Amino acid sequence: MTDDRHSLELERVPSGIAGLDTVLRGGFLKGGVYIIQGVPGAGKTILANQICFNHVAAGGRAAYVTLLAESHSRMLQHLRPMRFFDETIIPDRLYYISAFNTLEEDGLSGLRDLLQREIRAHHASLLILDGLVAAEEQAGSDREFKKFVHELQMHASMNDCTVLLLTSGSAGPVRAEHTMVDGLIELDDRLFEVRTERSLQVRKFRGSASLRGRHPFRITGDGLVVYPRIEAMYAVPAHPEQPLRTRVATGIEGLDPLIGGGILQATTTILVGPTGIGKTTFGLHFLAQCSEAEPGLLFGFYETPVRLRDKAASLGIDLATLERQGSLAFVWQAQGESILDELAHRLLEAVRSRGVRRLVVDGLDGFLESSIHPDRMSRFLSTLSNELRGLGVTSLFLWEMRNLIGSAVQVPIYGVSTLVENLIILRYVEVEGRIRRLLSITKIRDSGFDPALQEFRITDAGIGILGPLPGYAVTPDALASSGPVSSERPSPRE
Amino acid sequence: MKTILLVEDEFGIAAVLGSILEEEGYRVLVAANGRQALNRLAEEAVAPDLVVTDFMMPVLDGIGLARALRADPAWQDIPIIMMSAVPELTVKRDFTDYVAYLRKPFSVPLFLHRVAAILSEG
Repeated sequence: MTDDRHSLELERVPSGIAGLDTVLRGGFLKGGVYIIQGVPGAGKTILANQICFNHVAAGGRAAYVTLLAESHSRMLQHLRPMRFFDETIIPDRLYYISAFNTLEEDGLSGLRDLLQREIRAHHASLLILDGLVAAEEQAGSDREFKKFVHELQMHASMNDCTVLLLTSGSAGPVRAEHTMVDGLIELDDRLFEVRTERSLQVRKFRGSASLRGRHPFRITGDGLVVYPRIEAMYAVPAHPEQPLRTRVATGIEGLDPLIGGGILQATTTILVGPTGIGKTTFGLHFLAQCSEAEPGLLFGFYETPVRLRDKAASLGIDLATLERQGSLAFVWQAQGESILDELAHRLLEAVRSRGVRRLVVDGLDGFLESSIHPDRMSRFLSTLSNELRGLGVTSLFLWEMRNLIGSAVQVPIYGVSTLVENLIILRYVEVEGRIRRLLSITKIRDSGFDPALQEFRITDAGIGILGPLPGYAVTPDALASSGPVSSERPSPRE
Repeated sequence: MKTILLVEDEFGIAAVLGSILEEEGYRVLVAANGRQALNRLAEEAVAPDLVVTDFMMPVLDGIGLARALRADPAWQDIPIIMMSAVPELTVKRDFTDYVAYLRKPFSVPLFLHRVAAILSEG
């Protein structure tokens, strides 16, 4: 791997798949030879075909050569419903042939000659060889196979033809051909308890940097959609952080004076509380402050936009008008089998495209439940918060805690308070046989705040702060911990 | 016994179609591309009764083969069935002198019906 200044000098051949090109920092290097490896069904053939169609759409020419693979007619039948598929480019700009007979009859040298001839005959700037394992099996020795790969590499380089070699297999020991080619991309499809997740990893990428680690993807009607892992993609925030000066109103009656006049703009606040305490209502108040100059977004997992509009209306909060004016939008995620990075990219895309300045995420549990690697959550949240901060977004993340009543606060991720600027805890307490709601301002960065526990009430007019309730304490022990991040969800405790 | 020259680069398709035709009582010559097909024809004393050829193939494609056949007086009258996964219009842009077009994937009965019909006409 070299630095980006060097790789900028090398011409790229984009895959045309936005997420993959992000991972590859712009695409394959022109004239390079790359292995795409994966277990059967991982998506290699769709990926290679998608890259071919995208390459042709961008003005190139491609040849798709199969060895032991599915028949071309079946392959094209399967590809036809994909939106990238364009029958009109076959065969003039994209040519499908089988080279298995040549391999059988004339061996690797015959295959090499055929590939060279087809590259020239079709002026191919991209060549796919689907079924590399058949060529490997045909080779009499490792040395013969390495010689084949080397000759193909020389020919690809001299003809400015980028070559993708598809082969089955999963991660294992380094093979001879791996050491020779310019890059190795591994596709995987793993089972995590009862769900599966596809991912890709660039294991080698000679002459260029790439985003390291595994990146999830889906196979959709658009072909492969790759979601670069958030922590890798935004390891350095895309936007410089601005100095914190302006304060924004929370929309909660009586709260802003307690926190120095409001929340500092472009900060992240976590609002923790048990079910039914009023977290979503708090978020609706926050979004009621949206305007044309300060557009808002509710990124929700649980209550649908219809229910949220009704809920807001019942509290006298007119979100419908804000929506009509274009000052507020709802993006709702069905509780299915979402991919953590897919959700984060969808959130960031919605924020960017709408110029969002006020964001409510209802709630963080939606992200947590989508993660197949809970160990990631702390770093994931930190990276996402940084990126939102760089985009000038004042974010309110709602988070449900497990224990309903009591003084201790327990959430699934330790050390979370160190990740965000502001932390507010909502709790139920039992006082003389009655349940009361308390609000505890635990952390407001760079601001003085009133540490007294505040009683609040939810009425037809929404949330209102009633004032301090002496004699009760909320212990944010787990939240304030800066210890290691737990991969297990702690059980509720009182 | 009628002789059919089957030209197909995908060995699986060539093997299946070849064995089906043989079961139907035809003599079958198989080639993996247009160049091989021309070589096979040169080796044969008698011209085949029918050529069934794929469109996209390495070395010499189906149209290249068909044009070579039409240019040679010994073979110019052999009927040709063209087959491919692409729409017929794609082939017709460059070549029309064939008696039937089969779009892959096609059924065996349809294939045999076309072959039998063309050979009975001849």
